[in-house]
Amino acid sequence: MAGILGVEAHDGNPHVSPGKSKADSQEACVEPTDLMRKEHYMFLLHQRDETVIDGVRTKQHSLANCVDCHVSYDNQGKAIPINAEGQFCQECHVKTATNITCFSCHAAEPRYPKHKNITSSSVKEINELANNITYDK
Amino acid sequence: MINRRKFLVKSATALAITFVVPSIISNKAHAKKPLAEKVSDKQSWGIHIDTSKCIDGCTACVDACNEENGLTGFGRPETDSQWIRKVTVKSNTTDKITTMPLMCQHCENPPCCDVCPTGASFKRIDGIVMVNQHTCIGCRYCMMACPFKARSFVHETLTQQNTNAPRGKGCVESCNLCVNRIDHGSETTACEDACNNLGHSAITFGDLNDKNSKISLAMNSNNPRRLRNDLNLDQKVFYSNI
Amino acid sequence: MNYTLEKLKTCRYLYWGTFLFLGFLVLLGLASSAYMEHEGHYVTGMNNQIVWGLPHIFAVTLIVIASGVLNIASMSSAFDKKLYKPLAPLSALFAIAFLVSGLIILVLDLGRPDRLIVAMTTYNFKSIFAWNIFLYSGFFVILSIYIWTMLDFNVSKFSSVVGKLAFGWRIILTTGTGSIFGFLVAREAYSTAVLAPLFIIMSLLYGTAVFYLLLRIISKMQNITIPSEITVNIRKLIIIFLLANIYFLILYHITNLYISKQIAIEKFILLDGGGYTTMFWLGQVGFGLLIPLFFELTNKDNRDFPLTLTSIMVIVGGFFAVAVIIIGGQAFPLNIFPDHTIIESSFFDNNIHGYTPSIYEFGLGIGGTSLALIIILILITNLKFIPAKK
Ligand code: SF4
Ligand code: SF4
Repeated sequence: MAGILGVEAHDGNPHVSPGKSKADSQEACVEPTDLMRKEHYMFLLHQRDETVIDGVRTKQHSLANCVDCHVSYDNQGKAIPINAEGQFCQECHVKTATNITCFSCHAAEPRYPKHKNITSSSVKEINELANNITYDK
Repeated sequence: MINRRKFLVKSATALAITFVVPSIISNKAHAKKPLAEKVSDKQSWGIHIDTSKCIDGCTACVDACNEENGLTGFGRPETDSQWIRKVTVKSNTTDKITTMPLMCQHCENPPCCDVCPTGASFKRIDGIVMVNQHTCIGCRYCMMACPFKARSFVHETLTQQNTNAPRGKGCVESCNLCVNRIDHGSETTACEDACNNLGHSAITFGDLNDKNSKISLAMNSNNPRRLRNDLNLDQKVFYSNI
Repeated sequence: MNYTLEKLKTCRYLYWGTFLFLGFLVLLGLASSAYMEHEGHYVTGMNNQIVWGLPHIFAVTLIVIASGVLNIASMSSAFDKKLYKPLAPLSALFAIAFLVSGLIILVLDLGRPDRLIVAMTTYNFKSIFAWNIFLYSGFFVILSIYIWTMLDFNVSKFSSVVGKLAFGWRIILTTGTGSIFGFLVAREAYSTAVLAPLFIIMSLLYGTAVFYLLLRIISKMQNITIPSEITVNIRKLIIIFLLANIYFLILYHITNLYISKQIAIEKFILLDGGGYTTMFWLGQVGFGLLIPLFFELTNKDNRDFPLTLTSIMVIVGGFFAVAVIIIGGQAFPLNIFPDHTIIESSFFDNNIHGYTPSIYEFGLGIGGTSLALIIILILITNLKFIPAKK
């Protein structure tokens, strides 16, 4: 599982979300960045039907995994909901004035937010944290 | 850092070994489906409930379901969701009292799916009846149609949902046989785990197509019946000793 | 008869007064619905036991009326009754207005009205609900064409064909509406074939009553008199429909009494259902059928006033009738364990369910009804619908 949009992947348009995410330290997203930016919803749309109707549970285009990777953590190591103001999903969607309806039902926090208790916000620790988030059994 | 799923599956296996009589576990437990593979009709999931083992006053299965699917209520019992509930009935002829959990019966011919205008209520090919909440418009016709009152409508805005159980205001929901767990290879549902955990073992989940699965064996040694058999819905949830 | 069609030419104050009043109610309805959607349905009286409530009573009543008011036009087109020809455009207009507003109430009560587009594009052809969406949109299209053929003399030669089509369509439509309930196998109150004809006859009765009432109001506003042949005829129709309604209602309950597993629900509605029993006997039967019948049988010289009163009572009674069917049918607990008594359940399986509608549901219903009236008001003011002597 790779992350999306590292600081450098923003084409000189730096990641402004407060806090740090696992994605910040990744080289590339699950698809080329350009494609992801424009078409991420297509991947999600496709995956959503496959998952709900056919029980396909691959992780590459899973919304849960987007959240796990892109969610930022504050200085206390607590996850910030990804649709909170200025956060990864919300920021762009506000700019482009498109509603995100995903999070009226889907969790906007990573799978195990309650289990976290880290104190430092260093990238290294975030990375460690990120590496400890596993998806597959 | 504990991976919760890993933990659940591990503890489920441990439970199965500790509490379920080992002989009823199929020797060739069904091969885990690769995550990328679509589900198929090779499996037909079902639940058997031995009401003679279900304890009056115990709500472990209900609590476990609420925990697994993040069904935290708002203290409004008339509108809060219940995917599984405990009911106690008394026979009109023999006065015998039976207590048991009641949930979506996963009908083979589900009235909820027949009436749903958008097809959001659907039966997965492996027999699990569930709501596709991406297309549910919240008309509640399925709730009118279900003979077991198995469905709940989400009446309020939800936050803090569980990752494995997305759910939200304005859609209808019901027991989906822990579909997320099952797809990830678990052989138990949350309610079954909880029941086994207390040593009651009233609930057995499994593959009805597999003659050696734990559910098939549990059904053989009992006299399972469907509720409201007269409606010919061919449910996949069976009850013994009512 | 020689006649032309005219626009509504009432005094401006009356027009704007009515317009603003109705418009206000429509806005109130929209506000109620917006609030319900924003907060979630817990603010309504509906819950997981009574899943369809007041909005559905309003909507079903309006849709039933929509198909019924077309009766007047049908008699001119399908049965070639010259008497009603001048009134046919009005009748078709009423039908559209009531249909649209009934549907809008239904949509605004959905859990996810924002997904209307899903409802319009994804069909489950097994669902009678989905078929109804077809029936409704088809009805809408046919009615629009029908009105066009009646108002535009260039295409008037098609008017009778389209009118017959509309007649057939509306019979199917009402059957479809009735079948929404008929398909609920597990709800004892609904599982009988008599429900569909009962709905048809209900639609004829309520539709005629609504038509007469609106005609009276419009004639007052326009300062014209309703020809006495029309009054005589409508009175006759109402008596016939009242009798037919009573007949089918008896038939419906007798059929249910013959099916042994349905005796319990019958006993509930007819005898010991508390509020539901009262609604049935006083509202539906007394207020809606028997007293009107008495009024009309004694109204030998076809006076307007008793007929107006009758129409109002019939409509109110009709509202109760739909309420008894929709709410009464849900209030009675499901028979999940035959031969057993449920003594304990956290999900109210052993209770008669109560239903106290909230102000929001009521607002939505009233708003929707006002929408129908405002549509009619706007269209008759701007297009020529009202017959006048040449
Ligand atoms: S029990 Fe109810 S919700 Fe479940 S499949 Fe049957 S009809 Fe549908
Ligand atoms: S509430 Fe949703 S799932 Fe149920 S019938 Fe309506 S659209 Fe289908």
